[in-house]
Amino acid sequence: MNKTKFSLAWLLATVMALVAIPAGAQAATITLSGSTSVAPLATLWAQKYVKTKQGKGTKFKILQGGSDVGISDISRGRVTIGMSSRDPKPSDPGGITFNRVAKDAICLVTNPANGVSGFDQALVQNIFSGKIRSWSQVPGAKEQGTIDLFVRTPASGTQDAFDKIFMSPEKIFSGASQKASNGLVQQSVQRDKAGIGYVSEAFTDGLTIGSYKGVPCSLRNAKSGQYGGVRSFYFVTLGTATGSAKKFIDWTRNNKAALKIAASEWVPFK
Amino acid sequence: MDARVELLLGALASTILLLIAGMVIFVLLKGMPSFTNNGISWFGFGGNVDQQLMDIFNSPANPADYNYELHAGPLLYATALITGAAIVISTAFAVLSAIFIVEFAPHNIRRVLEPVVRLLAAVPSVIYGLIGILVVVPWVADNLISEDRKESVAYVIQLDGTSILVGILILCIMISPIMIAIIVDALRSVPVTWTQGAAALGVNRWRSMWTVSLRAARPAIVAAAVLASARALGEAIMLSMVAGSVGFAPNPLDGFTFFLEPARPLASTIVDNAEGLSVVPFGQTMYAFAAILLVSSAFLSFGGWAARRSLSKYTLGAR
Repeated sequence: MNKTKFSLAWLLATVMALVAIPAGAQAATITLSGSTSVAPLATLWAQKYVKTKQGKGTKFKILQGGSDVGISDISRGRVTIGMSSRDPKPSDPGGITFNRVAKDAICLVTNPANGVSGFDQALVQNIFSGKIRSWSQVPGAKEQGTIDLFVRTPASGTQDAFDKIFMSPEKIFSGASQKASNGLVQQSVQRDKAGIGYVSEAFTDGLTIGSYKGVPCSLRNAKSGQYGGVRSFYFVTLGTATGSAKKFIDWTRNNKAALKIAASEWVPFK
Repeated sequence: MDARVELLLGALASTILLLIAGMVIFVLLKGMPSFTNNGISWFGFGGNVDQQLMDIFNSPANPADYNYELHAGPLLYATALITGAAIVISTAFAVLSAIFIVEFAPHNIRRVLEPVVRLLAAVPSVIYGLIGILVVVPWVADNLISEDRKESVAYVIQLDGTSILVGILILCIMISPIMIAIIVDALRSVPVTWTQGAAALGVNRWRSMWTVSLRAARPAIVAAAVLASARALGEAIMLSMVAGSVGFAPNPLDGFTFFLEPARPLASTIVDNAEGLSVVPFGQTMYAFAAILLVSSAFLSFGGWAARRSLSKYTLGAR
């Protein structure tokens, strides 16, 4: 191939690529990223939304990584909606709006072989801050050995909620094992008889759910406001929600089918 | 035509070098605020590193009030401990395995071993992490950690099976195959006349391996160790799963319990805390960790090159 033909070929290839990119973006794509607690709910909603008339043809991409990843991504415009399971903080980037779409209960969980089910705030603080290190000092525990704590990494929204609702002003024991997601905490407590941790209510299979201040951790108690450990799920948008994001968020808040999905394992918006 | 190909290949090679240099400079610049705010105490011990990371993460939004205080000693100690122990154990194991494969293995076993070793070198590290956390960690928790042992350190750290013992063990399994492959190639490339000369002098197989072939292959052993150490330094997800996710410095004075205590090397710290990058001082601290890892890898490569040069002075002209 001589020189002119070669350069012409390059020019053609570049032009084709430039034309192809906007053409591929015709169908609406909604990307969500953020909290591992909100992701299962968002997935169920997305699966229902594409079957509705207004959501037909929408493509969903759901990524995880934790509430702070979601907030950082939306503030830079990298995704359509950011998922957050924690309240806004003063250090969050500016210009973002937190739209509440559901509420969730944080449950204290122990291994079924141990089966502790009654907690009050003092006991939770003493256990998680390391003042009590042995199950023999905890009333109702079948285990007698050392307590194994499973907590979340600092950037987790569940961790933030746990700190605010249960722990403050106490700090978590420095030797506690930090896990990166709800699923890993669930798996760790399932496999360790002396384990205790906190998870979102959707991740309590195979574990004994503890009651807090006399109220068992369940969705009904969370909805009625009796259970103390409730936190909000937010869909975060850049500025107020517009376009496909606004349609989706309004659908999740008002549509009956969407509220029914949320009520299966979380506390719905209405 | 030749001149143009030379220019093109040179351009490609320089692009890669520029990319790497650019990456190192970028990471160093981004992580500099963490170093300048802490000075030399960044490398020391002092306080609970997890609590310090949490405080950095919860810094107020005003740039003048950013919190940077960090004493990353436990993390550096964990990295050096796990990587160093894994390299030492793997080198010994890989050398002995390579000698077996080259000299002592019956033909049928050698035919099976060699492809299997190369296959193992290509297994993704997440698989080792899964096997570790599903099989090895519960076994250690049930059999090696007695209640007395847990109570003896209960107010300092919890022993739940994830430990540096499991981390070093699985890291050895992970990096040995590549070392075995490299050392086998090196032992095979020793000129056959040298080993024949040893046989002619009446030396047995083991002795000729040890005094002739292995000595000649020393530069390759160093190269294999450097390659494996680079992989071990960068191992993040597997170690985060099995070596414990606590920024704790295991205490050798605890005796055997030392091996059952958890630790978290630098790469695992970055991966566990990657979610918090949007908070500016936290992101800069993560970049500082990455800068330390890059500089250590560079130093390791340089050290390996220097060691190989000095070793090849003592072999005959074959190198």
